[in-house]
Order: sequence, then C-alpha cells, then structure tokens
Amino acid sequence: MPETSRRHLLLGGAAVSAGALLTACTSNEPKNQAPAAGAAPGADDKPGTPVTIGFAGPQADHGWLNAINDNAQQRAKKYSDVTLEITEGSNETAAQIGQVQTLINKKVDVLVILPADGKALTQVGLQAMKAGIPVVNLDRVFASPQAYRCWIGGDNYGMGLNAGRFIGEQLKDKPNATVIELAGMDSLELTKQRTQGFDDALKNYPNIRKVARQAADFTVESGQAKMAQLLQAQPTFDALWNHDDDQGVGALRAIAQAGRKDFLMVGGAGAKSAMDAIKADDGVLKATVLYPPTMAASAIDLARALAQNKGIGGMAELEIPASITLYSAVVTKENVDEYLPTGFS
Amino acid sequence: MAPAQQPPLLTMSGITKSFPGVRALDGVDLDVAPGEVHCLLGQNGAGKSTLIKVLAGAHQPDAGHITWNGETVRLRTPSAAVRLGIATIYQELDLVEGLSVAENVHLGHEPSTAGFVKGRAARTATAALLARLGHPEIDPARHLRELSAAQRQIVSMARALSHDVRLIVMDEPSAALDPDEVANLFRIVADLTADGVAVVYISHRLEEIRRIGDRVTVLKDGRAVARGLPATTPTRDVVALMTGRDLPYVFPDRPAHPPTTAPVLQVQGLTRQGEFEDIDLELRPGEIVGLAGLVGSGRSEILETVYGARRPTAGRVLVDGRPLRPGSVPAAVRAGLGLAPEERKAQGLLLLESVTSNVSVSTLARFSRGGWLDRTAERQAARAATRTLSLRPDRPEAPVRTLSGGNQQKAVLARWLLRGCRVLLLDEPTRGVDVGARAELYAVIRRLADEGLAVLLVSSEVPEVLGLADRVLVLREGRVVHTAPARDLDEHRVLDLVMEGSPTA
Amino acid sequence: MTLTTPAKAPAEESRWRALGVRADVRNLSLLGVLAVLVTVGGLTRPAEFLATSNLQLVLTQASVIGVVTVGMTFVITSGGIDLSVGAIVALASVWATTLATQEFGFAGILFTAVIVGVGCGLVNGVLIAYGGMVPFIATLAMLASARGLALQITDGRTQIVTVDAVLDLGVPDAYVLGIPPLVLVFAAVTAAGWLLLNRTTFGRRTVAVGGNPEAARLAGIDVRRQRLLLYVLSGLCCGIAAFLLIVLAGSGQNTNGNLYELDAIAAAIIGGTLLSGGRGTIVGSVLGVLVFTTITNIFALNNLQSDVQQIAKGAIIVAAVLVQRRSARDGDS
Repeated sequence: MPETSRRHLLLGGAAVSAGALLTACTSNEPKNQAPAAGAAPGADDKPGTPVTIGFAGPQADHGWLNAINDNAQQRAKKYSDVTLEITEGSNETAAQIGQVQTLINKKVDVLVILPADGKALTQVGLQAMKAGIPVVNLDRVFASPQAYRCWIGGDNYGMGLNAGRFIGEQLKDKPNATVIELAGMDSLELTKQRTQGFDDALKNYPNIRKVARQAADFTVESGQAKMAQLLQAQPTFDALWNHDDDQGVGALRAIAQAGRKDFLMVGGAGAKSAMDAIKADDGVLKATVLYPPTMAASAIDLARALAQNKGIGGMAELEIPASITLYSAVVTKENVDEYLPTGFS
Repeated sequence: MAPAQQPPLLTMSGITKSFPGVRALDGVDLDVAPGEVHCLLGQNGAGKSTLIKVLAGAHQPDAGHITWNGETVRLRTPSAAVRLGIATIYQELDLVEGLSVAENVHLGHEPSTAGFVKGRAARTATAALLARLGHPEIDPARHLRELSAAQRQIVSMARALSHDVRLIVMDEPSAALDPDEVANLFRIVADLTADGVAVVYISHRLEEIRRIGDRVTVLKDGRAVARGLPATTPTRDVVALMTGRDLPYVFPDRPAHPPTTAPVLQVQGLTRQGEFEDIDLELRPGEIVGLAGLVGSGRSEILETVYGARRPTAGRVLVDGRPLRPGSVPAAVRAGLGLAPEERKAQGLLLLESVTSNVSVSTLARFSRGGWLDRTAERQAARAATRTLSLRPDRPEAPVRTLSGGNQQKAVLARWLLRGCRVLLLDEPTRGVDVGARAELYAVIRRLADEGLAVLLVSSEVPEVLGLADRVLVLREGRVVHTAPARDLDEHRVLDLVMEGSPTA
Repeated sequence: MTLTTPAKAPAEESRWRALGVRADVRNLSLLGVLAVLVTVGGLTRPAEFLATSNLQLVLTQASVIGVVTVGMTFVITSGGIDLSVGAIVALASVWATTLATQEFGFAGILFTAVIVGVGCGLVNGVLIAYGGMVPFIATLAMLASARGLALQITDGRTQIVTVDAVLDLGVPDAYVLGIPPLVLVFAAVTAAGWLLLNRTTFGRRTVAVGGNPEAARLAGIDVRRQRLLLYVLSGLCCGIAAFLLIVLAGSGQNTNGNLYELDAIAAAIIGGTLLSGGRGTIVGSVLGVLVFTTITNIFALNNLQSDVQQIAKGAIIVAAVLVQRRSARDGDS
C-alpha cells in the first residue's frame, strides 16, 4: 500500500513526542533527559493503530552498539501498539542488505536502520522508501536523503567542539597550556569530525596548544597501548581528549600504570564506567561528552509516530523533521546523576 | 618412416644439469629428425624427466646447447618452447580439474576479443581437435573431473596439438591406457609423423617401442649410453643397456655358508589389491635378499607395506615370530625395521638439517632425559655411526643437502645403524649415486649384513641384485615368479623371467 | 662427491654454532634494523626515547604479542599456520574476566585463561592432526567460533577487572629490579621456547615434521601426535598472552587480540622462520616483535599518525623477506 503510506507522511497528525527527543533538540540543560526506557513526558502513550517496526543494526560488539539495541527494545516494549521485528546484528554490508530486504518483504510499517556502513546501504534504504515503507535512519547517514524519511543521530563534530570548549574553559587562565588527543579509529569519518570539532574549539583559546594526537581503534587494548605511548611522548600536558569511553578504559589503565595524575581528561560517548569515575572524582577523568545511545529509543518514537501518522509535539510543523541532530552534552560531576541511568557498559 | 639422413629438426648436445647433491644430466646428446618417432629409454632416475623438462623450457641446462632447425636457441621459459612448436605431454597431466575440456585445451592461449574469451570458438576448435584424435565423443564443454584417465590423456594431447606443433614429447602416454586406447594412440602418432611432426616417445614398454619407434636413445645415470639405435635392436640388448653396468663393479664376497639361524623377518601372504599379491619371504640375520623386477612390478610397494607405511589388504608381517601391527611405521621401527626409501630426498632426508640431525632423527629418545636433548652425546653417537660408514665430509654439522648422493644414502643408513635396527629395507640404494661411489656402498651393505643385519634389497639394476644379494626373488606384475640363490642366476635368466609373457620377450 | 657449498660458508657456520647461535644472516640483519631504529629514536626524541621508562614501555607492549609469536613460531616451523591466535586471546581474556571467574581471584583468572587457550589449541590440533583438516581452514574456523563465543560471553560489553592482585601486576610498584612482571613472563616464555625448539626432542621433531613430513613419518616419528601438541602449545601461549593482556588493559573485551594472527606471522617471518616450515628461530621472532613495537613507539613519540605507521610496517616486512630470500639463495648456491 504505497499510496496510503505516502499520504500518511504528508498529513502529519496529533502532537506526539518523546521527552528525550525534545530535550535533545532544544536545550543544553537536559533536565528532562530520560533514561532509555523511562517515562517520556508529554508523549502520547495511549495505544494507537498497531505498528510493526523493523529494526536492523550492526553486530553489537561494542558497548555503545549494545546500548543501542537495548534502548530500542526497551522503548518498543513500552508501547502496547508497537511490535518490534529486530534482526540479528551484522557488520557485513551484504548480510545487512539481506536482512533489510527481508523486513521489506515482511511488509513492516516502518523501518529503523543503523547501517554498518551508511553509504553502502543507501540502495536498500531507497528500496524501502520506494516500497512505501518510511525509513528512520539511525546515526550513520545514508548517501542520499531520498533513502530515509528522517535521520536521527549524534553530532561527532559537536562532540569534539564541546570537549574542546570544556577543556578550553578549564585551562583558559593557564599560560602555554598543552593538550593531547587520543582519537578513535582513523579510517572512520566520524573520527575526523571529532578531531575537527576539537581543533575548531581550541582556536578560541590562543593559550592552548595541541601537542600530540594518536589514533586507537575503540578497543580497550588499543586505548591502553596508544595512551602508554602518548604518556611517554609527553612528560607533561594539561588535558587529554579521548574520543571514546571504551578505549578510555584502557587509557585510564595506562595512566594508572604510568602513575600520572597531573592533567584532566575528557572522554566521549558516555559509558557508565566513565560516569562512575566522574562521579567519584578521584582520578583524571573529569567529564565525558555524550553520544547518546538513547537515540535508538527516540528512533522508535519517531518510527511509531510516522506509522501512526503523527508529528512531534512542541513544534509548529505538522510533520516530523527530515533530520534531527542530537546535542553532545558534557557530563561533569555537577550533572552526572542525571545522566547515569543512560550510561552504558 | 623417417630417413635419418634428413637434417635434424632438433639437436641437443652436451646437455648437463645438476641439482644440489646430484648430477641429473651429464653431457647428454639427442637428435630428432622431422617425422621421426624417437624413443627415450631409461630407468627411473636415469635423467629422462630432466631431459624433457630442459626441452620444454622448464629447466635451464648448466651446459650444452640446443639447435632447432639448424639455429641455436635458448629455451628460457615453457612458452618459449611452445612458440618454437615444442609441446610436452607430461606423465602427471598438467590439466586443471576445475575447467572444462575446451578451457583446458586453450589454457594460456584462449581465443579472445579484447580480453573476452570466445567460448564458442574455443569449443568448436576443441571439437575438431578431438575428432582428429579419434575421440569425437568427448564433449568440449564437459568438466575435466568427469573424464576418465584415458580421456584426460586425449585432452592433454589435444592441448599439445592446439599449438602449431612441430615436435611432441610424450612421457609414458600409454601408462594409463588399455589396449584399444593404445592402438588409437599409435594411430594418432602415425598421423602426426605422416604430417612431418616429430615425436619423442618415452615408455617402459619395450614392445611399444618396437611397434612405433624409429630410433632409440638409452639414458642411464644421466648419460646417453646408446644414441639413435634402430628400434629393431633386440629387446634383451636394450634392457641390458638400461640396466647393465658401465664399470665392472666390485661386489663384496658372500659368506661361505648361508646363515641357518631363525628368520628375523617373515612375510606371509602379503597382498595389496592392485599392487602385489601373496608375497611370502623369510629373512635371516646376516642375509641379503634381493627383489628383482621391472618398474611397476610392485617392488617398492612391498617394501613400504612391510615397513607399515602402507596398509596391506591381506597377509601379515612377523618380526621374531611376533606379528607387527599393520600400517604403523612407529610399530615397525620399534620392532627393529629401518627403511632407506626410494626417493631419498622426498622421503628420506631433512634437507635443511645437518647430518647429525638426519642421523639421530629416529633415535632422539636415546639422547634425551625428560625430553631434554644431550647434544654432545647425540653428536658423538651420530659421528660414530657416520664414521663407520666412512661418510664424507666428516663434518656432523654439514647440511645434508650439500652431500653427494652416495653420502646422503650413507646418512640414511647411519640413521638405522645408530638405531640398532635389525632389518634394513633398502629401496634402490644406489639411485643417483655416482658410479665410483657404488662399490663402497656395496661393501658397507655387505659389512652390515656380516655384522648380523638382515637386508631386503630392491633394485632395478639386475647386476646389482645378483652381485649383492644372497637370495633373489624375481617379481613380475606383483607376484613372485622365481626364487633362487643369487649364484644360481645370471642377468639373462633374470631378464627372461621379469619379461616373460611380454609379447616381445 | 660434489660438495656444492662454497668453502667459506661452513667455516662461518661453525663459528656461529660455537657461539650457540644458528648461522643466520637474518637475525643479524634484524639486529641491524633495530640498531637503526634506536638511532633514529635517540636522535629524534632523545629525552623520551632513551629513558628507562621507555624501554620498560616498549618491552611491556611487546610482551603480549611476543608470547603469541613464540607459539606461532613453533606452528610455522612445523609447516602449519595458526590463524586463530587473536581470537583465542580474545576468548580466553573474556572468559577469564567474567564476574563468575573473577570471584575466584587471581588464580581463577590465570587458570581460566590458560585452560581456555589450551582447550582451543587442543581442538585445533585434533581437527588438523586427526581430522585431516588443512591448518588454514581449521584455525580459520576456530577464529570465527572463538570470536563469536567471546562476543556471546561479553554481549559487547567491556568486562572491568576488579581483582587487585591482577591489576597490581601492571603498575610500577610491582616491577622487579625495574623490570615489569609482564616483561619477565615474556622473557621466561622466550627462554623456554628457545630451549624447547633447540634443545629438546620435541623441538627436533617439530623441525623434522616441518622440513619433510614424509621423511619424518618414515623415520618413525609420530607426526600426528607432534602436530596435535604443537597447536596445543600455540593455544597455551595464547592463554598466557591473554592473562598478560588482562593485566595490561585491566579488563577483558571481545575485541582483544585484534589481528594478532597477522602480527605474529609477520614477526615470525621477518625473524627468519620459513613459512613453508622446516626452519624456525625464536630469537628471530622476538627480534621481529621488538622491531615492530619499536617502530610504533618511535612513530608515536614523534606524533606520526597510524597511516604512516602502517606503511612503515609493510615496508619493513617486504625488506626483511627480501633479505631472507637473498640469504637463502646464497646458502643454496
């Protein structure tokens, strides 16, 4: 029923939304930031038309991706009118294409896709859209806007930017301050964006200089190895920006092994272990910049709204936006309690 | 068929080729006239394979030169040989299992347009070639793995003919064929020679050579011992050339009285389907028993089965009256058997290792305490063993690959001497051993027997078996056809026995 | 009597043997490479590179992959290959760091890591030696299964180690005379591996099986049993390496040991172990590991990025193998 679906999209509908979504879009004071499966103030929890949502993600071999799956599943469970068809995660483009095609053939009402490789899965996104199944593209963006109805994802550039700003504010009064960067996998676009944001933020602080950067690959092991080298290379520095909390576990281990305490560290992504450390405030880790896995819960909300022909509450438009970029909030000791429930392990 | 006066198509002269430790070809001459079937004869290891690989451009000779149509040529690569019009059909067919007949025939020179293979053209051409070879029933589109051995032979030949060929080398083309197919093969050869194509034909079947050959060259120990003989030369003379002695070897004296002690090794009714049948033999300490027979008579297979490297389908092997576990080399070695295999390099030696390592490899447990090697004891014991055999150079740490063939063989013998083995199985012990070094090796073997070893000897050289062994078992097609004390036999009698039943014998 | 080796080669050879070292140009050339690297490091970042702490760092970082490489050297010497080492390290490290295992403390973690490694090696060995599978395929299958199992155990989560006795091994307080415990383990495994390969019947049989399996069989060696034991040995090394990695990273993660198989094979090959089997050198393998680790160190100290590091690593592999080919040719001609 391609035509009817298309009409639904255009019609828009009653106000409906998820608190997390609103918060993410509007504010950097995330008072309403909700835990993954927590309450969604203002959301229309009343059962509507039954909706089947197809969900396809990559293999959850990393804490963050695992949290993505959890968030999606928990959120779907909350709605009595939502049936979630979740596929086995795969990192292989071909396998994932097959899985999405299976979901298309099953005629699910709406698709949520977190592609292993955004560009490579563009075709299958187009296929779904042509078949009249709206696609919510989660995080890794397709090559063509025609391949999705709505994109929702994190802001890698913003992560770097906010990490840079936080560090900048801490060090702005210190002459000749130096910072180093432990980047993520260099073969990924997002790593370059995080680095770019960080560098751009530092331009506002002429007293701060970035003196070293090494790339790890999001694993604990590589985080330990590269951090150990960085510590050896830089006997003194004032701050460290680490792209990823998972590799941060290794980085913190290397820091402990080197017995270093003379700098502040900012992490990325928002792992529970990192938030615990920030809360305890007994080490170098002072903040982490979010790349919230709650986006998967929001994607489920968006998908449900799309299928039920509704828009987002609190916005003047009738339709759901074409793209939603989440805010990369900085979690510090002051606000960590609010975010702790979203921390993933 | 081919007048020998005609200027030769191919002349190879003084071809010499050495591999580490052995001189495979030693100044070999060969000339082939257009339209001639020139037969190449020789035992395994005589140098035939090396010679045809030189001719096919697969080996570069160390010395000597090749002329083609009167011009000196160098065959640097197989494709250079093919361009001249020399095609080789190897014994182990070099066909690709996963491809179709037509693809195999045109492998490396596929008819193509801008890189795209013209499959139909290839299949049509292949069908024409197969028809010419008398096998139109082979479908060019079929996969090679669906074909029988004989059909593959035809495909291999079609592949040779798919080039503009002036000379075809056939390495034992009849080995896998039954009589009808052999007749067809001969017809093809006749057709080819009628077109002026020369054929170099290798076979062990002397009667085939009589039927289709024009001239015969006999290789032995890397030398051409007879060149361009007429194919009508009596079989016995040809065999004598192949197996006969170049130098009068000095064989050591036999003991005056044959040993009468209880046999150490008994073989009873040993059979391996399709290889040999119902072999009985007894071997006493101090005795050398020889197995004589042509290639394919099952000699090596018997030895390897006794040794447990092959599993018999029937029969048993007893050492000191106790049956050996069949198909287990470690069991045979523990019981006191030792094998010096036919393919010394492929089966006998650790070529990268030192003489010491090669000698001690079967006796490591003796030099170890809790797995720990006492290397001094190992080296001394190995050296003692190699000195007993006068292995040269007397340098235990020398890499074994740098040794001459005879000394490599001594390293293998030393291994079993060190192990204290009681039954020595020798498979072609003088293969690849320089003529001058053989007498010494014979003396060593006899001395080992005198010291109480039982020796089972396999050799394709009849004089060697007759000269060295006390008793001889003559094999034909996997069966013992005659047993006698060596002194009651002579070379002619043995040759008669091994070839009895052959049409030309 | 054709002695084809030039006269001077044997003399050189015996001199090296007298020193207890296998005549091996490759080890010398790797030492040369290492010397060049040290010079480059010393010139570009003298203060940081030549510090004791940096030596400790390089050796520590070499420990985990080094132990794996020792096991790999045996397997390659025997003519085999073990592609599953990285996956076994991952599986052993996560199995040894589950909450349940951690309850048993230090001994529980160590024991589990070693047992899982040995168990995986045993499966490899049985499949290859008695199941007749090609090592490449059998260990490839193990790679896939062990990684899958590791993922299943962790569910993609990082398992933080809370056992202090384990964590304390990685910090400077635990250093013995300035030597980190991990490096001590690495040194011990290297010494044991060298002795095992060069001084025992096991080592001799390994070389024989790799050099000419048919000749080894006909010489009475139980080739299948030998092969089985070799893969178990490789698994054991992976188990030990997994424990070292747990100490180093303070955690177990299913991504651990990523591409160890390639690093270990590369280090063994540039060290002079023949990929076709029949010749292996533990000293060479360890030098190979140290060359790679030192390159990483120097590049990191000079803030060069990972792309450049990878290019340099590739270049070193090519150069080392070219030297190896040349010396092999010289040895034969």
